[in-house]
Amino acid sequence: MARDPSRSRRTIAWLVAPGLAVLVFSLVVPLGFSVYYSLTDSAGFGDYQRVGLDNYKAILTDDPVFWRALRNVLILIAMTIFVQNPVAFALAAVLSRLSARASRLLRTAYFVPAVLSLVIVAKLWVDVFNPTFGILNKVLRLVGLDAIAVSWLSDPHTALAAVIWIILWQGFGWALLFYYAALMTVPRDLEEAARVDGATGWQAYRHVVIPHLAPVIATVIIIDVISSMKQMELIYLSTEGGPGDLTQFLGVYLYQKAFVAGEYGYGSALSVLFVVISAGLTFAVQRGMRVIAR
Amino acid sequence: MKTSTFFIFACALAVCGSLQASAESKITLKMGDNLPDRNNTWGAIVEQINGEFKAAHPGTEIVTESYPDQPYQQKIKIYATAKQLPDLFKFWSVTSLLKPLVDGGFVAPLERAAFETMGYRPGALDANTYNGKLYGIPVSMDFWVIYYNKKLFKDAGIDHVPTTLDELYAMVPRLKAKGLIPMTTDGKDAWPLSITFDQLVWRISGERGLPGKALERKIKFTDPVFVQAARELQQLVKSGLFQEDLMVSDYGAARNLFGQGKAAMYLMGSWELGLGADKSFSNEFRANVDVFKFPTVKNGKGNVDDLMGWYGGNYVISAASKNLALDKQYLQFYARRFPELAWDKQATLPAQTVKARPSDTPVAQSILRIAAEAKATSGTPAVDLATPRFKSDHENAIRELCSSLISPEDFVKKLDAAADKAVKK
Repeated sequence: MARDPSRSRRTIAWLVAPGLAVLVFSLVVPLGFSVYYSLTDSAGFGDYQRVGLDNYKAILTDDPVFWRALRNVLILIAMTIFVQNPVAFALAAVLSRLSARASRLLRTAYFVPAVLSLVIVAKLWVDVFNPTFGILNKVLRLVGLDAIAVSWLSDPHTALAAVIWIILWQGFGWALLFYYAALMTVPRDLEEAARVDGATGWQAYRHVVIPHLAPVIATVIIIDVISSMKQMELIYLSTEGGPGDLTQFLGVYLYQKAFVAGEYGYGSALSVLFVVISAGLTFAVQRGMRVIAR
Repeated sequence: MKTSTFFIFACALAVCGSLQASAESKITLKMGDNLPDRNNTWGAIVEQINGEFKAAHPGTEIVTESYPDQPYQQKIKIYATAKQLPDLFKFWSVTSLLKPLVDGGFVAPLERAAFETMGYRPGALDANTYNGKLYGIPVSMDFWVIYYNKKLFKDAGIDHVPTTLDELYAMVPRLKAKGLIPMTTDGKDAWPLSITFDQLVWRISGERGLPGKALERKIKFTDPVFVQAARELQQLVKSGLFQEDLMVSDYGAARNLFGQGKAAMYLMGSWELGLGADKSFSNEFRANVDVFKFPTVKNGKGNVDDLMGWYGGNYVISAASKNLALDKQYLQFYARRFPELAWDKQATLPAQTVKARPSDTPVAQSILRIAAEAKATSGTPAVDLATPRFKSDHENAIRELCSSLISPEDFVKKLDAAADKAVKK
């Protein structure tokens, strides 16, 4: 049966159109607005003036908080990749060896933080970290470690570590779930064949299981990078970037600039940079993963 | 088949029509305020006023959105940006946060004459008069005080309230020995620290309005009096006076620590006089809560009766409201009812004059006494006097100061830089 190619192309266009329209209106149009406002000194309402690239110049050359927020994001990414992921992987590996019942029970337990509302997670840890009534300091004092029973979220030395801990704790279940599901798909005979060829348990993992999981690991890492970049809620609910911007992250910072400080133009410029950095970083990680996979 | 389709279509149209008709006969007033607790004190009074207003205006529905202070301020800014402001909302005064909204044409002017006969204290309406027009009605008379729990003081062997900061410092170890937090306040939102800073400047210099002068760039924040006040404020935090997590505990957390008897003092404004009547706290607490004036500073030239004080909590009408006439009726109704109910329930000190009664709670009596003894009041605190950007810079700087991340000298330099930017704007 002969087909008219222009007709099928039209059909494809029609089928793609709704999705494309959603994408354009939810992504491209708002981004366009952000770019427009980033070139103004708008306060969000009332009159404003065009200021050219002044906002961008100020952010890049005269805003230490922006750089600190970016640095904190990078620290968070590093912590998720190099701390959260290996631990999640190791636990998933152990879980995959346990009996079905024990594994199901533990999987549920580990996944609980991921299904809790972020507000609950934040308030829970704010309470745990409370210097006076928090359980952490109570336990520390009980065992005589009064010296390290500090005000975790407001002490400049511990605040960043404490909020990163909350974020890792909350996101841990997802990484575990991905790795566990992936591990269950590794054909047993592959591993057994390696064992027959004389591989130790670790060698079998290193040369058979992990390469088999490479695409999953890459996916999890990309998800981690993206979610670390846009991390906002847990910071906002615990420290709001304090004390003194020490735990500032890009998402919180641009919100505060736009809606608290009334610098909508500046906040818009931050959000445009944020999109550029996120896209660049995601692209770089994807590229890096492909190189490693090869 | 076709007839039945037509019939269904006609029915659907008829239902839509009748729904629309019933919606049209009802007017919904959208409101916004910073009083999320609708069952106690202030929030409960607003609910009562709304109920009475609805009864007097059948067919009127009132929908209120409430959030704590800071999220509420942000929400209003977002609504203004999106052109979705509620019909009527509570906001700060023209001298502070309301000005950008008035300048942007978001706020409807009111007829001042209609409110002049309603018993407002002298000057109360002036705080919201801008370019000769009244833009909002003040609801409370606010000033900066320290609440304390008489029983906890007694338990710690303290028999008098501190009149100097040195006396206050001396209490810290005694209260701590009893396992109590000496004093709480809202450090996360930072504005209480900013008000305290202004109060310290006044106590040290004896001169009213210095922070405002610095904002107008007539003097500099790097002048010695500001450095000294910053040092004093940092010392208050360092001395262990406040809860350990001061910088991350918000308004509700600080208030609850005091209300639940875990803290002996609470640094906050007179609008909290409702603590003495708040049923969410124990009888014992309510019977023991009282208030004293912010202490003086050693060698300071200021007087204990110089009050950080202003009129607060204004109600304004959105210029874009479709029910302007009804909004204005509501405001007049509110202006009449609120002072009566607020004083009757001892929720706050209204912007209108009230009469002392024997049945007033001890804390309400003390608040009235402090107001009567005041020699001078400050007007709007400096943190709220300039641009939103200045407010945010000021609050960030004071957070850094109180977290000991910067020195008092660096703090005042930051204030100068922020003020320069605000003036340029």
